[in-house]
Amino acid sequence: MTAPATAPPASAAPPPPRDAAPSLERRRAIRGPYLLLLPAIGILLVGMGYPTVWQVVTSLQEFGLQQQFGRPAPFIGFENYAALATNAQFWGVVLKSIAFCLITAVVTLVVGIALALLMNAVARAPRLILQIALLLAWSMPVVAAMTVWIWLFDRRRGAVNYLLDAVPGIDMNRFNWLESPSTFFAVASIIVIWMSVPFVSFSTFAGLTQISGEVMEAAALDGASSWQRVRGIILPMIRPVIAIVFLLQIIWDLRVFTQITMLQDAGSKSGEFDLLGTFIYKLGTKSQDFGMASAVSILVLGITIALSWFYIRGLVKDDET
Amino acid sequence: MNKRISAVATAAVAALVMAGCASGDTGSSADEGTDITLWLNGGDTPDELREFLKKEYADQAGGTLTIEEQSWTDALAKLTTALPDAENTPDVVEIGNTWAPTFTYAGAFTDLTDMYEELGGDKLLPSFVEVGAVDGADYALPYYFGSRYMFYRKDVWSQAGVAAPTTLGEFNAAAAALASADRSGFYIGGEDWRNGVSWIFANGGELAVQEGDEWHSSLSDPATIKGLAQLQALFASASRAPVTESDSTPWVNLNNNESTGAPEAATIMAPGWAHWSIGDLAPDPEDSTTLVPTWNDATFGTFVLPGTDGGIAPVFAGGSNIAISAASEKQDAAKELMRIIFSEDYQTMLGENGLGPANLDYASSLGDDQFATALIESASTSKLTPAAPGWAAVEGSGLLEEFFGKVNGGGDIAALAKEYDAKIDELING
Repeated sequence: MTAPATAPPASAAPPPPRDAAPSLERRRAIRGPYLLLLPAIGILLVGMGYPTVWQVVTSLQEFGLQQQFGRPAPFIGFENYAALATNAQFWGVVLKSIAFCLITAVVTLVVGIALALLMNAVARAPRLILQIALLLAWSMPVVAAMTVWIWLFDRRRGAVNYLLDAVPGIDMNRFNWLESPSTFFAVASIIVIWMSVPFVSFSTFAGLTQISGEVMEAAALDGASSWQRVRGIILPMIRPVIAIVFLLQIIWDLRVFTQITMLQDAGSKSGEFDLLGTFIYKLGTKSQDFGMASAVSILVLGITIALSWFYIRGLVKDDET
Repeated sequence: MNKRISAVATAAVAALVMAGCASGDTGSSADEGTDITLWLNGGDTPDELREFLKKEYADQAGGTLTIEEQSWTDALAKLTTALPDAENTPDVVEIGNTWAPTFTYAGAFTDLTDMYEELGGDKLLPSFVEVGAVDGADYALPYYFGSRYMFYRKDVWSQAGVAAPTTLGEFNAAAAALASADRSGFYIGGEDWRNGVSWIFANGGELAVQEGDEWHSSLSDPATIKGLAQLQALFASASRAPVTESDSTPWVNLNNNESTGAPEAATIMAPGWAHWSIGDLAPDPEDSTTLVPTWNDATFGTFVLPGTDGGIAPVFAGGSNIAISAASEKQDAAKELMRIIFSEDYQTMLGENGLGPANLDYASSLGDDQFATALIESASTSKLTPAAPGWAAVEGSGLLEEFFGKVNGGGDIAALAKEYDAKIDELING
């Protein structure tokens, strides 16, 4: 999760040689940007490098509770990884997590962009109301929001069942949303989307404000319909914003943890309700197999990089052109 | 602009420096005695007892005792990360009795063998002493015990004309007869193995057995399977609880539902202290927005789960052990606190609050009401989970919840037992 945040400074390239500039000054100009990078690199190394290295080392060891209390941890090479490769349950969780993350990220993006377009289109007062509402949702602490969501979907007294049950012909009395994995993950997805839409909306809205009114006016004069304007002008112009927001959503939704854990507390902690985050937590902290849990974490890091590859490749391409 | 940046930078540096100071040692009461920390799990230890410990510790050792409460669900994870770390470890810890073997084997606790006699010796509850001992040395000693018995609605039972059961078979039939579309004859969650295991024990089954030095999960044992089959039938016929519910708060279903005025369960099984949460609901005089239950003998009653041929079915022995963290740098002060905990005063207070005292000499402090009688009666045959080195990992993994949930969901018991035997065997020997 470190890679995309630190884009290489394009400006670090040496300035084109002008007529016999003093070499000392030139060297200082080159050194300056690198010096400025040092603190960031230092913090990254200390904050993320150390745990990552520890995790890689642990993933090659047999590391359980007794090792946690000081017994030597034997190195077992890639045995943890080999065990994972043939573990059907693990691959089930991986597929489930990727599906969950992609579906949730795409829906978040669609809803978020739609709200941003709405914000852009309406008058000041409704826009402010919308923005404040989104801001409140965004700033709500996760635990508080989860508690309310769990109440809403409560089997006995939840507002969702109550309202659905009031619709004639639908019997939702005591329907247990958290009992089967399909409805469990649907609820989880709704909650995660609700929590991340504000970020997408605000980022997109910020992008929209950068589109000059003249372009839009010209398009309107040329007779472009509003859908054509969205597709042909707005979306391409805010493409960089959408790309980075989508990437962040994918990363966040892949490692979603709090929401799933709290829903499991309200429902079941069974393996079929696990995504990667809770799977690792169960394996490491709860079953005390830290070696295997580290191996899974390293694999998740790999999956994250693979999923965000589209963005990194795009960056490199943009750089080349 | 530059000024603003340097202001921000200064603020950031100041924040870092202050954070650094805050984590430094600010304690200066070294002469006043040693300050120690005690971890308790959940709200099981009442406030009155906590205050007593703090006061006694201040009087006897001169230091401050800080009591930190960990929730039962997070305790295992917190113990795993905090106990090995001398900087962050609590000095004295309460630990679920079933986790005691794992942490004891791992070397998390201080050897208390030389204090054993002083703290009560063979008066201490033997089965709990055993789970906290390795190779004859005592590490984790009993803190309190509880055990599970049945709470029932007298009105519902008598209205249905169902007689009090004297065997497990009769209980199963009675529970099924009491069930209706919106009421459980016996309310038990599908994943609730801590209560459900009684049906295994009653039929002579075990969760795991020891052969030589090795532990093996024994879900496939014919006696275990027989118990599971009874439980599966009971869940289907008598319980309206979700199959995904684990050991939770079944007592809310025994009280009248606020909106319907009727209970949703005729019978539940719960640890003895649940009786504080059961009764006629009335608005709290101090806060009219909440309802408080008051036990009413006319409506509510207790009985002990009967065994297959009468007598008493063995139930899961609940409770906790208590130990000193081996990584603690305040061993002497921690031992001082242990002396207070095992003192007659404190042991008696445990009993008076419905918690079975570690020292059985003070068991009479439990009193002689129906709750004390049921507690002592059910505890007499209660059983602990296997004292295997990896048992805490087995519990932590959630495999038992998963297994019981699938069995009660109507799964093929023999096939599931085989599958989960293999999964549990991977963890059980540590």
